[in-house]
Amino acid sequence: MGERTRSTFKELLSTGSGKAGVIFISVLFIISLGVVITYPPDFGLKYWSNPVLWADNPRAAPPAWTNLFTSDDKAETIILETSVPSERIPGIGTGIVLYTFDFNYNSDEAPTFTSMTIENIRYNNRPPVLTVNIERPDGNKIELFKLIVRGPLPDEEAPFTRFGETPFRIQFSGDTSVVGSVSNFLKQKFNISMSNQDLLLSGVDTVVFGIPQDDEKFEVLKGSYKLQVEAFLYDDDDSIGKVKFVLGGSVFGFMGTDTLGRDLSIGLLFGFPVALFIGLVASSITTVIGTSLGIISGYMGGKTDTLIQRAADIFTNIPLLPILIFLAFIMRPNLLIIILILTVFGWPGLTILIRSMVLQIRSGQLVESSITLGASRLRIMLRHIFPQTAPFVFAQMIFFTPSAILAEAALSFLGLGDPSLPTWGQILEYGFRNGGIFVGYWWWILPPGILIVITAMTFVLIALGMEPIINPRLKRGN
Amino acid sequence: MGTARLLAIKGGTLFGVLIASLLLVIVVLGATGVSDRMMGSIVNEEIRELRQSLAQTIRDPIELERVVLVERDQLIEFYGLDNPWYTRLPDMVWRILSLDLGSARTLKSFSGSTRVSDIVMERFINTVILVTTALAISSVVGLYIGVKLATRVGTKLDRGVSYISAASYALPSWWVGILFILIFSFQFHIFPFGGITSSPAPSGFLNRTLDIIWHAALPVITLTLASVGSWAYVVRTMVLNTAQEDFVTVARSKGLPENTIMNRHIIRVAAPPIVTNLVLGLAASFGGAILTETVFNWPGMGRLYYDAILALDENVIVALTFMFTLLYVSARFILEVLYILLDPRVRY
Repeated sequence: MGERTRSTFKELLSTGSGKAGVIFISVLFIISLGVVITYPPDFGLKYWSNPVLWADNPRAAPPAWTNLFTSDDKAETIILETSVPSERIPGIGTGIVLYTFDFNYNSDEAPTFTSMTIENIRYNNRPPVLTVNIERPDGNKIELFKLIVRGPLPDEEAPFTRFGETPFRIQFSGDTSVVGSVSNFLKQKFNISMSNQDLLLSGVDTVVFGIPQDDEKFEVLKGSYKLQVEAFLYDDDDSIGKVKFVLGGSVFGFMGTDTLGRDLSIGLLFGFPVALFIGLVASSITTVIGTSLGIISGYMGGKTDTLIQRAADIFTNIPLLPILIFLAFIMRPNLLIIILILTVFGWPGLTILIRSMVLQIRSGQLVESSITLGASRLRIMLRHIFPQTAPFVFAQMIFFTPSAILAEAALSFLGLGDPSLPTWGQILEYGFRNGGIFVGYWWWILPPGILIVITAMTFVLIALGMEPIINPRLKRGN
Repeated sequence: MGTARLLAIKGGTLFGVLIASLLLVIVVLGATGVSDRMMGSIVNEEIRELRQSLAQTIRDPIELERVVLVERDQLIEFYGLDNPWYTRLPDMVWRILSLDLGSARTLKSFSGSTRVSDIVMERFINTVILVTTALAISSVVGLYIGVKLATRVGTKLDRGVSYISAASYALPSWWVGILFILIFSFQFHIFPFGGITSSPAPSGFLNRTLDIIWHAALPVITLTLASVGSWAYVVRTMVLNTAQEDFVTVARSKGLPENTIMNRHIIRVAAPPIVTNLVLGLAASFGGAILTETVFNWPGMGRLYYDAILALDENVIVALTFMFTLLYVSARFILEVLYILLDPRVRY
């Protein structure tokens, strides 16, 4: 049997498609292994479906490399964060702590949003006061925001911790106090009045990062900016855990983001092990059941045979997709149930084929002599019949794998996927439901589909490479 | 064994399939409590309406409650909710088998009827326009290419088409549809994004027909491309297997022209599996293409089934499952008869 497998494998590698398939599947396995090792086990529910984690990413942003193909440079997301103050100015009773970020802004458009996150403020007596400034390349300075940390509660004991579990997060573009100070700045420096309403609509970022033009539009002011958080602390032990600014871009990462700001590359990577799992588990179980029943049916004959064949007849003839959709909907989407249904409806085809093979093998000399030697029925089926069907069975398993992967993708696309395990089909579905094709979110809709096709194709290629092994008559034709 | 007896056995099995899938759906709906829940909500809805209309005439709240409660009990008895779900089962199976599809709970036909048969008829025509057309095109093209390929096995062309057809096995048609919408609707504005007519639909028969064709073009191309490869490949393999039989060698050694060998000796023998594909494909096409119809927002049978599941419209779900299976089972039975006609070797 080992000899047989080895020669089968050698023959598989001798065909072009077999070789390509083996290379592809190795790559798929390596990526999956990497994902399984590095991703947390509860990735689906805790990370992927948790919008808080993705709040700082731009929404529905195409991949960053699209900048190479467009004349205008789209803004990339800039993340500035530190937990160490850049400067301390000691004072009597009060100390000023500065967090300064110097950065160059060279995009042709203003950031799509600016957000600030502050974590873990600890104080002993009086609550600290934080002010946020931005200094522009033209020397103007805008005081954007002032944060007065909440004072102690009646029965609270020092030191007081604020924003420990849930960090303080503010999106400047939608904040009324920021809008107020930006509108003041416009009035004083450029003598332009803009109502708070208009500013909220157009977003403060175009103003903060821009110079007004004659046509009432703003042009991006490129150059070096300085964002500064000035914290007044009233005790030497008072501290701030972390300060973080995000200047949201309109392009993101290698694969872009969806409308929740989720980094698609992370979700797509997670899809690799899930797809392989679905395909391989469903096809292995189906093959084991289908082959065993086929061998039993063919070798035992009689009532057993009739029973198995009738059952197979019924299951093959029930239209699969409608039932699959129906059951998946009624039983709540769950990956194991999907695999179970695929198996229940997948075995009969194989059983019928294997049975017809076994009928031929049974009357062969090998089996007859084994019976004469007194081998048990189980031994004959396992040692003498199964090995002869093995290459065929293996090919069928390979061939069933892509259909399982595609069936899961189809279900997910109809919104019946398992929400705890994000798959390519689910990412595609979310993009489609959100009108991705109407607004052209190609980076969201194409990659999951392409990955589904590549994975399914890998198994088809291997199956194709196995064709001459299974059907030697085809070799004569060549 | 006599032919009639064998056909009877086959027919019996196929009828068993029909009953099995019908029972599967009804039992799942009943055992999971979905059926009770749905009926319960219908009763509640009717009671709510009744209470509102009665409140106009009956002023006394206690009297009102009493009347409503009596009415409620009657409704519960009417729907059979006072008994467990399986007591309703025989009636339901019998009703469906006698082709009384009942009326939908929430879904409506475009003309406003709630009768399942009305809804299905409208959707059926739409599906034939889309899916059956695609099947016709892909089978004809696939047959032509497949036979051509079988005569030049091993050539570059043959390998090329083999690879393409293998590739199309891995290409889900719904994704190809999305791809096409992105390219031809979003990027180039050649075809509409979906739907069956423009809104408002143009007046006049010719304009309307053209409008439907314009809307159907992209999904039909999608479905055709998705299946034409496997058609060609199946035909090629069948023809090829037959072409290597001894009787073909004999025919060739007799000096018969290649055309005669192909048409009279090979295709005739290779026909049954090809016809199987054709008939089964035809039956399946009447059931619609759930995914492609969803992608293209095409109001066909497949889309109806999906809508029915989302709306949990029990009668429509059961009726459609029955129809899908009935179509398939009938096709299978027709095939059994056709095999006898087509293959001289099949004489039971």
